[in-house]
Amino acid sequence: MNEHRTEQQLIDYAFQLASEAAMQETRAHLEACQACGQKLDALRAKFATLDLLRDEIPASDDLIAQTVAAATAPEATRIIPIWRHTWLGAAAAVIVVGAALLVTSTFQTRPAPTETATRGRAYEKAVAKEEREMRPTTESMGLSTSGRRIAADSAASKPSPIASESFPAPAAAPGKPLTMMAAAQKLDEAIDEKPPFAPASAIELVVLPRRENVQLTIYNSADLTLVRERRNLTLKRGWNWLQFMWAQTLIDPTSLTLEPLEHKDQVEVRQLVFPPRLRELGRWLIRSEVSGQVPFELTYLTSGLAWRAFYMGTLSADETTMDLEAYVRVDNHSGEDYEDAQTRLIVGQVHLLDQIRDLAQRQYAYGSPLPVEGWRGGVAGERAAEDRGELRRELAFIQDRLDSLAVGQELREIRKEGLSEYFLYTIKGTETIPNTWGKRLLSFEAHDIPVTSLYKYDEQRWGTQPIRFVSFANDTEHELGETPLPNGAVRIYGRADAEGRLSYTGGTEVKYIPVGEEVELNLGPARLVKVAPILMELRTENYVFDDDRDITGWDEARTWKVEVTNARTLPVEIEVTRGFDTPQWELTLAGDGVAYEKHDVTHARFKLTVAPRSEEVFTYTVTTYHGVREEVFIKRQQEQQ
Amino acid sequence: MSYDTRLEEVVGVVALTGITDESLMAAHLRGDRAAFHELVRRYGDRVLGYLFRMAGNRDQAEDLFQETFKRVHEKAHTFRGPRLKSWLFTIATRVAIDAARRRKRAGMLSLDQPSDCGSEEGCSLAEMTAASEATDPADDLVQEERKQQIRDAIETLPVKQRATLVLAYYQQLSYREVAQVMGCSVGTVKTQMSRALARLARRLPDSLSVTK
Repeated sequence: MNEHRTEQQLIDYAFQLASEAAMQETRAHLEACQACGQKLDALRAKFATLDLLRDEIPASDDLIAQTVAAATAPEATRIIPIWRHTWLGAAAAVIVVGAALLVTSTFQTRPAPTETATRGRAYEKAVAKEEREMRPTTESMGLSTSGRRIAADSAASKPSPIASESFPAPAAAPGKPLTMMAAAQKLDEAIDEKPPFAPASAIELVVLPRRENVQLTIYNSADLTLVRERRNLTLKRGWNWLQFMWAQTLIDPTSLTLEPLEHKDQVEVRQLVFPPRLRELGRWLIRSEVSGQVPFELTYLTSGLAWRAFYMGTLSADETTMDLEAYVRVDNHSGEDYEDAQTRLIVGQVHLLDQIRDLAQRQYAYGSPLPVEGWRGGVAGERAAEDRGELRRELAFIQDRLDSLAVGQELREIRKEGLSEYFLYTIKGTETIPNTWGKRLLSFEAHDIPVTSLYKYDEQRWGTQPIRFVSFANDTEHELGETPLPNGAVRIYGRADAEGRLSYTGGTEVKYIPVGEEVELNLGPARLVKVAPILMELRTENYVFDDDRDITGWDEARTWKVEVTNARTLPVEIEVTRGFDTPQWELTLAGDGVAYEKHDVTHARFKLTVAPRSEEVFTYTVTTYHGVREEVFIKRQQEQQ
Repeated sequence: MSYDTRLEEVVGVVALTGITDESLMAAHLRGDRAAFHELVRRYGDRVLGYLFRMAGNRDQAEDLFQETFKRVHEKAHTFRGPRLKSWLFTIATRVAIDAARRRKRAGMLSLDQPSDCGSEEGCSLAEMTAASEATDPADDLVQEERKQQIRDAIETLPVKQRATLVLAYYQQLSYREVAQVMGCSVGTVKTQMSRALARLARRLPDSLSVTK
């Protein structure tokens, strides 16, 4: 009888968790083994107790009605107090963008106060209508703030509107210090501690001057870009509303943060609210002790920006050196134009819990809001924020380090510690990357990099064609080594003629190359170099027989002729690797001029140089040992050692 | 909700009872609120039972129930069929696992701890079943102890093993269906189930004799 079944085997049998074969085996065993049968019965009895909890749990009509009402209820406003998400502030290091109201120049073209006052009501009506009719197709990302309408800088007009809500606000003189502005606003007048319930229904949409600056940090591994914008907002003393729209973009609205860069003790961002019936739109409530321009930084995460590196190498005529040009292509499908953006590229894995693209396209920033009635303690909103907490912390961690570096550095290694590896590449200067456009940017150039060309032939790996390799190292000896090289496609060109015309030699993909590391580029099959091994002789010998005259051992000797042809005008070095499928082999070379080494336990590698337009031939005999002859061979080897 | 609307819904639900799941989903996507009501009604007991066994507490199970159908409502357009039941349990499983993780992160005690049973909503599973089934106080006590042992044993299972066990044993889904719900292979489901049962075997009471 077989051994008794284990408890695990019996459980798997009882619940049909084992394979069919194991089930049959156990079934057969149980028919013959009483002990295991009893054990199985005991287990079944034990698991039968689970049925005690098999009670039906009916969903009451009330619960069903509440659930339907909650799920299908029209959206309600959710107010997200900024102070409940202090980590957003930390993540601000990672996220980006400043929102601003008015720049100095706008004041110069601002209508006279009386004119504004007379136009105000009519304008409010018009804008209220516009707000009601707001359609995503007419919107892009944008900001608006409460305050007197200020005429746009026509030169800076772009589809991305930054809109201002029409509360009476003091006029700011160009460049006038804030203290002076504040004085004009009766500083002794206390600000109402109770914030306005909601922004007024009439929203003036005003296109504001262009961003002061914008910085993009593109995390390629996660379809994630951190955008940091700086704009100058003009605030009135008191409560201000700032409107942000992200329609037709891939911005994650839950990642939005807004921080004043100056007067931090006097300007406080209180809330971000998502008004009902207005999709893809949020409003910040800002309490300001000062009047006038305040620079703000707005940060957020967006999807749709990507970059990839690629390289172009040009070999010299004698193929001993190579010029290397490295490029980066940045593609923008984020829905937003980025003008004069400082662009930073991150290499490294980012732990991403949600796809920003999905978050951006959600109808509501924090999930569909539910009315208080019928809300039974669900946690959808908090969860959406919680789940991304880890991402934000990690991004904040990276950003902290990025911020510690001087801006404008080219291709600089940032850090390499702990569990994570991040490298930052900063593109020199600024670039304008309109939506749906791609842009190729030169990353660096290196000239006269010493390279080694080598051809390799190994039937087991690449078939019957030799493969060409070009190798160099990412170090100072090779005119490189300043930075790691990001992964990307490499295309190598050769000089086709004396006039310097190029011909395509081959291409490959390279992985990330740290400083100091050697890189070997596989340029694919070589058409002008041929290797032809020909079996010249096969014989078996030294048969060993047992007492029954059966063969128990023998040797096989094969003689190969290998012809290597070089049709190029340059000499080539080539490695020919031959495998024997057994560790018991001996090799004898006929003639001189070719050397070999034992590459590994079953392979030998021959190295030779072939002159231009010539052929080299070498012959070798390899003897392999089989059956009991293996033991004879092994013993002889041991004696020789 | 106005009386008229409610009346329309009730009429709608009556008419919808014979309709297939797919048709209901299609009607729901067209904005038919009655169709969604029928979906919740049709699967309410099973989903609530599943969440009850996952959470161990009626209050929390009802919260998860609402959350589950809220996601069903929001994600209806992503349903590709053909098995609505599997899809529903997939969502319910995610909701339950998310909740279990949050509870673990928050260091909260099991909500199934003995508590006052002042109202039906406040009762634990044990209290409710004891109240509904038992008549003899001594038997109640024995029954309750056994149920508590079982509940404790299930509570100790890792959340994925618990979900696998509840889906396969209590909800009586096939292993293939459980695999669809859990988003893994049948082999993985069997492994999870096998481990869950092995762990339970060490914790469950040896003999039955539990029926009164």
